[in-house]
Amino acid sequence: MKKMKVAFFDFTCCEGCQLQVANMGESLLEVLDLIELVTFREVMSERSEQYDVAIVEGSITTSHDVERIKKIRETAKVLIAYGSCAAIGGINGMKNNFGLEEIREYVYKKDARFFDTIPTRAIHQVVKVDYAVNGCPVYVPEFVKVLKAALSGIPYRVPDYAVCVECKLNENECMYDKGITCFGPVTRAGCNSWCINNNNICYGCRGLVSNPALNGQKDILEKYAVPLPWIENKMNMYNKPRELGIDDPAKTELRKLES
Amino acid sequence: MKPEHGKESAYITQPGTIRNTRQMTRLEKYFEITLPRQRDLGHEPGQFVMVSVPGVGEAPISISSSPTKKGCFELVVRKVGAVSTALHALDSGDKVGIRGPFGKGFPTAILEGNDLLFIAGGLGIVPLRSLINFVIDNRKDFGKVTILLGCKTPQDMLFNEEVHQWWKRLDVSCSCTVDRSDPDWKGNVGLITGLIPGVSLDAERTFAVVVGPPIMYKFVILELLKKDIPERQILLSLERHMKCGVGKCGHCQIGEYYCCQDGPVFSYDRIRGKHEAL
Amino acid sequence: MDKFVTLNKQDLNDFIVKLSRSQPVMAPVARGCKSFVFESVDSAKAIALHYIPTILPPKKYFFPQRETLLTYNKTTPAWDPVLESRKMAIFGVHTCDLAGIQCLNMVMSASPQDNNYNARKEGITIIGLECNNYCDEYASCNVMDNHLPNGGYDLFFTELPDAFMVHVNSNAGERIVNDIGFFSAATPKHTQQLEEMRARKREIFKPEVKAGHKQLRGIFAGAFDSRQWDRIGERCVACGNCTNVCPTCYCFDVRDEINLDFNTGTRGRVWDSCQNEEFAQVAGGENFRKQRGQRQRHRYMRKFNYPVERFSRYFCTGCGRCSRACMAKINLKETIDALAEEKR
Repeated sequence: MKKMKVAFFDFTCCEGCQLQVANMGESLLEVLDLIELVTFREVMSERSEQYDVAIVEGSITTSHDVERIKKIRETAKVLIAYGSCAAIGGINGMKNNFGLEEIREYVYKKDARFFDTIPTRAIHQVVKVDYAVNGCPVYVPEFVKVLKAALSGIPYRVPDYAVCVECKLNENECMYDKGITCFGPVTRAGCNSWCINNNNICYGCRGLVSNPALNGQKDILEKYAVPLPWIENKMNMYNKPRELGIDDPAKTELRKLES
Repeated sequence: MKPEHGKESAYITQPGTIRNTRQMTRLEKYFEITLPRQRDLGHEPGQFVMVSVPGVGEAPISISSSPTKKGCFELVVRKVGAVSTALHALDSGDKVGIRGPFGKGFPTAILEGNDLLFIAGGLGIVPLRSLINFVIDNRKDFGKVTILLGCKTPQDMLFNEEVHQWWKRLDVSCSCTVDRSDPDWKGNVGLITGLIPGVSLDAERTFAVVVGPPIMYKFVILELLKKDIPERQILLSLERHMKCGVGKCGHCQIGEYYCCQDGPVFSYDRIRGKHEAL
Repeated sequence: MDKFVTLNKQDLNDFIVKLSRSQPVMAPVARGCKSFVFESVDSAKAIALHYIPTILPPKKYFFPQRETLLTYNKTTPAWDPVLESRKMAIFGVHTCDLAGIQCLNMVMSASPQDNNYNARKEGITIIGLECNNYCDEYASCNVMDNHLPNGGYDLFFTELPDAFMVHVNSNAGERIVNDIGFFSAATPKHTQQLEEMRARKREIFKPEVKAGHKQLRGIFAGAFDSRQWDRIGERCVACGNCTNVCPTCYCFDVRDEINLDFNTGTRGRVWDSCQNEEFAQVAGGENFRKQRGQRQRHRYMRKFNYPVERFSRYFCTGCGRCSRACMAKINLKETIDALAEEKR
C-alpha cells in the first residue's frame, strides 16, 4: 500500500491532542511505518503543502480560520477533526456564552479592535469532515482506530451511546454512588470510560449523545440535588457550539457516502 | 486452555471468491461468489448469508440467486454502512468471508401446487428473485405465477434484463410500476398497491409473497386482505439489524422471535398485531 | 440422597488459599464506597461474605464483556475461530446469580449452540453461597423463586453459627471436597441448624410485589399497550446500565479490529444493550425501537414474557441490579406493581 501523506494542523486549541500523538510511545513507531508524516509543527520543522490526510486540531474562531480550513479541505482527500475543539467546538465554545464585543474587549482590552473574532465553531460546522476523534484530549486507542479506518477508506462511527455503557463494562463503581456528579449518562462513549477508570468524573468532553433524554436527566439531577444552572454551565464547557445547530459529527460518514 | 469437547465455533467463516460483479445502480452492486471447489451454498430461497470483509466486519446479506443455480451464488449489496461500502470497493478475484446460509426461507414445499403472487418493492426484488427463479426453474410444480414489481424511478429498477425475460414468458404474468416516471418508461406509474386490485386470483389457493420496505408492507397487506387471501398465505421477509445470525446477539429480535433464526420469512398470521414487527 | 459436608468457619481461609493454588478463584470483594465485584482472590481475607449483588454478575466469566471470536488474515484469506476457556472456581455465588447462569446455559446451548460460551463454562466450577437475609430493598428473589438454592452449582455453602453447611452437587464438587480437604461430615446438629435457618428464611422472604410468581407472565403479556412504558421512557436516559448489570442479558455487538499491519486482526464480541439508541437500527436508518419507552418495554418483555415462551422460565432472577444501577431510579418492583395494578 502506498503511504498516505499525513499533515497535522492546529486552529484554536491547546495542542494537547497533538501532544497525545507525540506521547504515544511504541505504537507511534508502528503508525509512522504506515504513513508519511509531512507536516507536524509540534514535532518537526519540515512542512509540505502536499498531503492526503489532514488531521486538524482546534476550533474555528476567526474569519482567517475559516479561509485557512477551507484551503486545507480543498487539498486534503481526507479530513479528520481531531479532539474536542475540532469535533464539537470544545472549551473554546464557552466564548459563545457572551456577546462577541464583550468577550473581545475582556480578552484583548484596549487592543481589542485589532483582533477579529467570530462565534466558535467545530470543523464540521464550516467544512465537510470525514472522520472525528472526540475527546479532550483524544483517547489514543480511539485515534488509532480512526486512523486505521481512514487509511482503509471505511467509515468510523463514534458510538452513539453513553459513557456509562463502557464504564459498566469496566465495572467501575458509579460516581453517583460515591455522591459525585458525573456526565457519563449523557456523554458519547468511545473513550472506554478513561477518566472514570482513573477515579475522575466524566466531564462530557466527547459531546452529548445524539438523543439525550432531557426529562430523564432533570429527574436525576433532582434526585441527587444537583442545581440545573450549575449542570448547564458544566455541560456548556465543551458543548456550547452545538447550539449553532449544524449537524452531528456522527453523521459525517453518511455524508461521505452521499458524496 | 483449549476446550476438550471438540465442538465447533458458531463463527466459522469460509472464504468465498468474487467471480463477477456489476454496478447495478448508483447504490447497488451485484456480486457472484463461489465457495472453495465450487461447492454449492446449499441454501433455500429467502435465506441470507453473513458476509465478512476482513478488517471491516460482517453484515447479513440476502441471497439473490435460486438454489437451482449451481456452482455459485449471487448477492446484491446496497451501499449503506461500513461493510457494504467496503464490499463495493471489491471486484472479481477478491475474497470475502461467508458464514451461513441462515434463517428460514420461503417454504417451497408448502408453496408447491399453489398460485403465487409475488410483490417486491425497491430492494425487495433481491431476496424475492431467489424464489421467483426457483419457481421458474421448477415451473410445472406451481400454479399461476404473477409478479408485481415497484420502485421509485426507472433508474432504480434492478435486474432489468431478467425482469424483461419474466415479462416475455407466457407462463408468468409480470407488471412493473414506478413512483416517478421518465419519458422512456413504458410501465405503470404509481404505488405498487395500485396494481393489486387488478390481479385476478383464486384467494383460497394463492400465496402472496411480499418483500419490500416496512412502509410498503402495511399497505400491501391491506390490499391482499381485501382480496380475501388468508393471513397464513401472506408471506413476508423482514429486515433487521443482525450481528450473529445464530439467534443470540439480540439485535434482530421481534417479540419472542429472532428474525435471523425464526425468520426472515414469516407468514402474516405469525406477526399480525405484533408490536415493532411492521 | 443429598450429600452434605461442613467446613468450620475458621478453616475457610485455608480452604480458599489451597483452592487458589489449584486454580484461580474468583470471589466477591468490596469495591469503592458501597459496591462489590467478583475478582481473583488468593485467600478469604478479601472476600466479602455478606455482600449485595456485585456490579456485574458472575456471567462475565462465562461471557466476558469483550471476547475474541476469531482471528483473520486478509491475504490468505483465512478466518480462524477462537474458543477460549480457563479453569477457575467462582466462590460465593448467590442463588439469584446461580439462576442467571442457568438461564444463560439454556440460551447458549439452544441450537445453534454458542460454543464460545460453552467452552468457558466447561472450565468453571461454581461454589454457591446462601443469603440468610435480604441483601437490600431492591431484591425480589422470593417472587422470582430464587431465594433458595435450586441447583446450578458444584458446591453450595450455607453459613451456620460456627460452620458452613456445604451441599455437594456434582463430581467436580466432590473432587474439591476430597482434594482440598478441611471438610467434615455434617452432624445432626448442623442439619438441624440448616433447617432452622431455612424456616427463618421462609418468615423473612415474602413476595416483594403485588403479584404472584405465576401471574407475572400474564401481566406482562397483556401489558404491551400499557401507559407505564411511556412513563418509564420519559425517565429513562438510555445509559444501558440495567442491561449491562443484568445476569440474564446476553446481547452483543460483533466488531472487527485490524492490526497495524493492515493484514491480520481479530473479530470480537462486546456486550451490547437493547437500550442503546442504535441497537435495533438497520443500515438503511430505520429504527424498530426508536423510543426509550419501547426499548424499556422490550427489556421487560425479555425477562417476563418472551423467555417463558421459549425456555419455560422467567429471565428475571430478582437480584435487583437493574433497579440499583438505574440512573433514573426506574424500579423493577414498582414497574411490576404498576402493571399489576393496571391489570386489576
